[in-house]
Amino acid sequence: MSKLLKKSLWVFHLNTGSCNACDIEILDVLTPYHDAERFGVKLVTSPRHADVILLTGPITIEALPKVVNAIEAAPRPRVVIALGSCGVGGGIWHDTYSTIGGVRGLQKILEERGVVVDAFYYVPGCPIRPEALLYAVAVFKGLVPKKVKSEIKHAE
Amino acid sequence: MSEKLKPAKLLVIASKAGRVTKRYPYDEPLLSPDFRGKITIDENLCIGCGACVNACPPNALQLMKDKDTVVLRYFVGRCIFCWRCVDVCPVGAIKGLREFELATNDISDLYVHVVHKKAKCEKCEGEGATQRMLYYVVQKSPIVEEYLNECPDCRRKSFIDSVVKRRTGGVSE
Repeated sequence: MSKLLKKSLWVFHLNTGSCNACDIEILDVLTPYHDAERFGVKLVTSPRHADVILLTGPITIEALPKVVNAIEAAPRPRVVIALGSCGVGGGIWHDTYSTIGGVRGLQKILEERGVVVDAFYYVPGCPIRPEALLYAVAVFKGLVPKKVKSEIKHAE
Repeated sequence: MSEKLKPAKLLVIASKAGRVTKRYPYDEPLLSPDFRGKITIDENLCIGCGACVNACPPNALQLMKDKDTVVLRYFVGRCIFCWRCVDVCPVGAIKGLREFELATNDISDLYVHVVHKKAKCEKCEGEGATQRMLYYVVQKSPIVEEYLNECPDCRRKSFIDSVVKRRTGGVSE
């Protein structure tokens, strides 16, 4: 699917105010049961070593400057994968006063600051199943086909 | 456990333990029967009443009103898969699926739109409910009211007119 993600992905796990459910599922992906290292996925401790930033949570205003700093610190080509309902669309907190409502609000802010992100990917779920994240990695590497499609239905 | 195991011994232990890793993307996922995934809206049953929109906690389902259409929009990226909409739908148009493989590179893949036609008011051609909803009401209550084809404003107007006529002793038609 993407040329950026062909090699092993080293991911940095960035919690931006989520409830920790998605974070627990990320750790579950790295256990021997669903072994994400089959696809070369490895968790790193600094964004400077990372290819991919796994972003969970609706991005609270308190966390926003740190999130921008972390994304800026990742070397290019940098990819952001928004995880969970909160990361993709803001979830339950999409219109509250203390969050910017998911990754789409972040995209505008990054453009204003001049931080280039080469690709955004989206993995919905509340919380994401470990299989959903494995499937996402496989889709982004082009191993399995994409399943979701936008639909416009007409009620006659 | 502190003693160092030789490779041959390790192999024996490993072969006894077997392999736990699931070959998931090429294999069946581990889903329990009560797992809740994304929903699907049947456009042949939906009447566009908006009961699901009221019930949806994160506003993943939204009604967008245009001049002559009502659009029910479902954004999977915000859905928390609580299936409240499935419970409240009066016609059973919403069904829950066990689908969770929703990864995408394009956010527009996550939208589902159901487009309804608006019923037109006979008098002023103003706004009203969807056509499907009027049919639903007529089906539920066999008495067909004469103001069914009017918009809420015209109904209110005609009701006030009839009350005024009665008060002043005029003959209502």
